[in-house]
Amino acid sequence: MAQIKNRLTPFFENITFDREDNEMILNFGPQHPSAHGQLRLILHLQQEEIVKAHPDIGYLHRGMEKMAENMIYNEFMPTTDRMDYIASSSNNYGFALAVEKLIGLEVPRRAKVIRMMLLEINRLMSHLFWLATTALDIGAMTIFLFAFREREYLMDILEGYCGARLTHAAIRIGGVPLDIQDSFITQLRVFLDKLPQNIKDYEDLLDSNRIWLMRMEEVGVISKEMALSWGCTGPMLRASGVKWDIRKEEPYELYDEVEFNVPWSDKGDNFARYRMYMEEMRESAKILYQTITMYQKCVKDGQTELMAHSPKYISAPKLDIMTQNYSLMQHFVLVTQGMRPPVGEVYIPTESPKGELGFYINSQGGPYPYRLKLRTPSFWHTGILTDLLPGHYIPDVVSIIGTTNIVFGEVDR
Amino acid sequence: MAQHKVNYTQSGGLPVALTSIDKIVNWGRSNSIWALTYGLACCGIEMMASGASRYDFDRFGTIFRASPRQADVMIVAGTLTKKHAEFIKRLYDQMTEPRWVISMGSCANTGGMFNTYATVQGVDRVIPVDLYLPGCAPRPETLQYGVMLLQQKIRANKASRAQVAKRLM
Amino acid sequence: MRVYKPKDNVQKKAYYSDRFFISPQVPKFDVESDEVFAKDLEAIKAKFEVKEAYIQVEQMVVFINPEDNFKVLELLKNDLEYTQLSEMSAIDWLADKQGFEIFYQMLSMNKRKRLRIKMFIKNGEAVNSVEKLFRSADWSEREMFDMFGIEANNHPFMKRILMPYDWKGHPLLKTYPLEGDEFAAWYEVDKIFGKEARDIIGPELRDTAKVDRYDSDRFVRLGHEVPKGTTITGNEPKVEQNYQEEDGVFLVKKLNKKDSVIVTDPQR
Repeated sequence: MAQIKNRLTPFFENITFDREDNEMILNFGPQHPSAHGQLRLILHLQQEEIVKAHPDIGYLHRGMEKMAENMIYNEFMPTTDRMDYIASSSNNYGFALAVEKLIGLEVPRRAKVIRMMLLEINRLMSHLFWLATTALDIGAMTIFLFAFREREYLMDILEGYCGARLTHAAIRIGGVPLDIQDSFITQLRVFLDKLPQNIKDYEDLLDSNRIWLMRMEEVGVISKEMALSWGCTGPMLRASGVKWDIRKEEPYELYDEVEFNVPWSDKGDNFARYRMYMEEMRESAKILYQTITMYQKCVKDGQTELMAHSPKYISAPKLDIMTQNYSLMQHFVLVTQGMRPPVGEVYIPTESPKGELGFYINSQGGPYPYRLKLRTPSFWHTGILTDLLPGHYIPDVVSIIGTTNIVFGEVDR
Repeated sequence: MAQHKVNYTQSGGLPVALTSIDKIVNWGRSNSIWALTYGLACCGIEMMASGASRYDFDRFGTIFRASPRQADVMIVAGTLTKKHAEFIKRLYDQMTEPRWVISMGSCANTGGMFNTYATVQGVDRVIPVDLYLPGCAPRPETLQYGVMLLQQKIRANKASRAQVAKRLM
Repeated sequence: MRVYKPKDNVQKKAYYSDRFFISPQVPKFDVESDEVFAKDLEAIKAKFEVKEAYIQVEQMVVFINPEDNFKVLELLKNDLEYTQLSEMSAIDWLADKQGFEIFYQMLSMNKRKRLRIKMFIKNGEAVNSVEKLFRSADWSEREMFDMFGIEANNHPFMKRILMPYDWKGHPLLKTYPLEGDEFAAWYEVDKIFGKEARDIIGPELRDTAKVDRYDSDRFVRLGHEVPKGTTITGNEPKVEQNYQEEDGVFLVKKLNKKDSVIVTDPQR
């Protein structure tokens, strides 16, 4: 069959043999089904053993930081969805919180509770997705189907709230746009009541599975020093023996009012990380139960506000815009020109499902950020592969990439 | 969500059927569209979801293959960046004919919201596309509908005639 | 006459600004107001020159001389328990101050404090790599080089990380437009098909507001599809969606929607 004419010279073939020292160079990716996206690894092999690994990223670099410099703050919100697209709301939240800290806003309590619900649902979705894909990479197809089944239920709940399955844009600067729908809590309760049994099902299938243990235990050990030095955060760091959860240590929202444990392990291997995700799902469920109670208390106390009141930065509620002249003018200015936060800079970290998601914003008083740096956990979790992979064998690469839980929207931004 | 009753032995009058070569070849082609897993970004997650429990793509004979040599259709799900463009071309050239391309989502169609220096403004600048699916990200239902439209397109072809290779240039 | 547009910052600008509007400041506090930070600043001041220090949004910001960066971070890591380098990058101030501002975002887990070390370098200067202290700086410095063109001395692998190796220009500079320059616009065409294909493939459509007059005819109207070429009145009746041709498909029975059961509760 005739090939379409092109200029691509065969400059890189997948395997190079002609080295004198018997070293083989293997190209892995950038479009590999178990690379969790567009990761390209250049592996130097001695027999089956990796002696040097060189992760090559940037295949999903879409220029988000540059986009932020050309967008008003509210306009950038949907773009943050596409960073960690497994758990979109946590990105929305990180950005919203950073801008709120910059302009010094206090969000109403009811909005905070709804935000926490969204965040924890997103954490559950992310961890379920992690379990599904990692299990699939290792060969456990059943877990993939099971975990996706549960994830779809959560997506139904979120779809009822914001109308989107994947890219929610459900959080605004200054609060949340909508109250949760009537069926939200009932649906969530049905899901949460079933969740412990579901998690137990996964564990029954995996924890004593010989293949799973062989691929997971004592593979990909990250020492504490290495994890700290590489800037690992979230489950990656906690599995390496550092009990550091931003929700607990530097509480934002109402995380200081809920009770939950921070699971941690000192093993640092793949299996420890797998246990971390499973335990975190349980803790998320615990937090969700408490937020339901908190939400019901908000309803009882008659707290109905969902957006902060700050006419300079946040549009008034719809009713005011429709009835009051000044609110309409303000809304018009905020939509067409955008809000102008004070001059200053801020770095706000939040605990996203993957780790520390930070937004550094440098504002010069204009409607566009002067510089916005996205500190995404996956970037460093990919970087650590440079030091982690040497000494392992080729099949371990897949399971190590799996447990690092990297998402390429985040790595390349 | 709908459940359908299908009686396979009754429906088409199996086990004996008289038909033309065209029809039987197109029947085979259209009902076993093997897709190349080309999840590039967010849409890739929806593509996985459509292959998973609830949406179950296997019903339509669509099985995801990791190798371009075994695939009939390339579902480009996600943003194509300038750095990646040469690889999509490479993989497209490796697919055997007849081959089709579904461009899934706004980013793959036109570059979508990423109107930046690093994004290819539509995969059709690099490879010929048969079907564009709108949405950011399109729901799994959209992808299923798209695959069904592609089946119609395949059935409309003359199978006996050698296919003319689609060319961009 | 054309309006002169400055070339040193081609990013989007506010189309209207009130002349009398003075932007407020994010409040800065004295370092003395926080015990832990005050002690840390003392320790830094004892060995290095500190140009400015204040607390902004619960984090201390310390301005230092660019040549001290490695030693300051070494002090922070070894003596002051700032064990993690969360983030580092640069800010482009070429238009105003002919240089870059570089920041290191540090985290101390024992003290639960975050601190930002900042320094200013002139255009064309390089910084000392801190890769030996924090491995995370390995990739951060590569990213900084990729995006701004600031090189780090003593870095083991100073190459581009996000953009391809043969890319021209540094995308996050203020002089670089969002939609890319000439090189960026034709990058994939030049690489795959060669320069002579430019005429055939044509330029990129970058105008998001552009409407093709054929688009409304050809655009898929889910549920209200019309054949190609027909004029659209806007009152098309809803078309029953058929996934198969009218006369059915060989060996596949046509779907009868009446036989389907609609599942309302997905959690059944």
